[in-house]
Amino acid sequence: MTGSGLATNHLPVDVAQLPSPDTVLRLLPLRLLFFVGVLVVGALVSYFVASFNRTLLERLGVPESIEGTTFERSAREFGTSTVSILARLSGYFVFLVFLVIALSTAGVQSVTGLWTVAVAFLPQVFVAVVVVVIGLIVGDKVGLLVDERLRGVKLPEVGVLPALVKWSIVFVSVLVALAQVRVATSALLVLLAAYAFGLVLVPAVALRDMLASGTAGLYLLLVEPFAIGDRVRIGDVEGVVQEMDVFVTRVESDGTEYFVPNRKAFTEGVARVRE
Amino acid sequence: MMDSPDLVADIVTDVDEVFLFSPGQSLYDAFEDLEETPVVVAPTNDLDAASFVELPLEFRDVRDRIRFGLEGGMNAGLTTPGETVLAVLPIFADTPDATVRVTVEESMQSGIYDLFANSRAEPAVIRDVFEVAIELGKKGQKGKPVGALFVVGDAGKTMNHSRPLSYNPFEKSHVHVGDPIVDVMLKEFSRLDGAFVISDSGKIVSSYRYLEPAAEGVDIPKGLGARHMAAAAITRDTNAVSIALSESDGHVRAFKSGELILKLDPEEY
Repeated sequence: MTGSGLATNHLPVDVAQLPSPDTVLRLLPLRLLFFVGVLVVGALVSYFVASFNRTLLERLGVPESIEGTTFERSAREFGTSTVSILARLSGYFVFLVFLVIALSTAGVQSVTGLWTVAVAFLPQVFVAVVVVVIGLIVGDKVGLLVDERLRGVKLPEVGVLPALVKWSIVFVSVLVALAQVRVATSALLVLLAAYAFGLVLVPAVALRDMLASGTAGLYLLLVEPFAIGDRVRIGDVEGVVQEMDVFVTRVESDGTEYFVPNRKAFTEGVARVRE
Repeated sequence: MMDSPDLVADIVTDVDEVFLFSPGQSLYDAFEDLEETPVVVAPTNDLDAASFVELPLEFRDVRDRIRFGLEGGMNAGLTTPGETVLAVLPIFADTPDATVRVTVEESMQSGIYDLFANSRAEPAVIRDVFEVAIELGKKGQKGKPVGALFVVGDAGKTMNHSRPLSYNPFEKSHVHVGDPIVDVMLKEFSRLDGAFVISDSGKIVSSYRYLEPAAEGVDIPKGLGARHMAAAAITRDTNAVSIALSESDGHVRAFKSGELILKLDPEEY
């Protein structure tokens, strides 16, 4: 055992001073016993913490709610699951704390110095890992939810949205995790700011017309001031409405089908023509 | 043993084109070495064939299927009337198990291909409506035979050639055919009288519509009732396609430009 071996290194001076080496010999196994005892207790406690967390997570319905996410699926591929990964992580964490306690009681100074720092740092690592895992799962889940929502709307052009939402959440969670372990995140924060800025600016500039048409279209679809089959006049186009979607309204007259952007319905107004 | 080799030789020699119906990769590869690449006729172009005709319905009738493939081929300029075509197609199995020698004729332009490919509505929408009609014809409404009429495409004009019988159940709803839930809704609402109006992109505009086309001079087979008369007439007044399920004989019929184009027996699908 390294611990006791290292401990003996400090002893030669003591051995020379002490009257009988028996006391040292008696002392050593006691320390060793204590060391092993703490480790055993640590193993037991960590095992109980892990199984408690596992049951807690299962009772909370975590496995059902994260079913189908990429993280859970890849965890399954390795023969494990998100819940057991999280539970085990907490178990390892508790065990590591006990290990350091055991080492310090065994008087391994050279190790303890480093390890106390490590253990003081451990909660942050643990939180960081948990944050990343939660970020991955929540991102996945929200992406799936957005995807399902959009499937009902039947708009293939918004297929990028779920991925965008998912990776935004993952990105933010990674940022939080890195900040937890005190990695310099300022560059990433700049990136986040640029990203957020872009998220506002790109739609504001490039998608301005689309967005205006989309919001107008949403109103038109929900309120339906006119429907397919009605004769309408939007701007200088007059005809029968053939098709309406979020962005354009198709108006047909005399064999010509006009694709009128929905925003025109608001900027130029709609006239319903009744015979 | 009969003199089968000669029989086969008679069928396969001197053909201008080969049409493969739903072939596997190995079969396609075997034919690809010919000087002219074969035409693949299948629901989807999984093989990335250069010459491809989409088969929207798995026509059970072999003649319908071949006709559809040839018509599509003629439309795409892959074959012309007068040419001899070898059709390799599955009849009993899922993979091609029969070869048919057929001469392409102008009269094969029966309009079935035209019905799907050159209508106002998207081919997938027409196919989805067909599937609903076939399904409805097979199962009926709660076990009883049911009739239904779908007018697909040119919805604006159709709406102006019809009037509501009562409140439109699909008002302010934005549902499309092909959605499994929507198919259930369609079946449920088929017990209401009147027609379904479906737009070019598959949106269900209305049900419970009473069609008011001018029926003068519409010529449909005798024995068909008012529903089919309305179905044929509305397609003459508008650019729509109509698909009718008969309550009495259970057949699905498709009309375009006032004419009966296709008749299917749902029991065969």
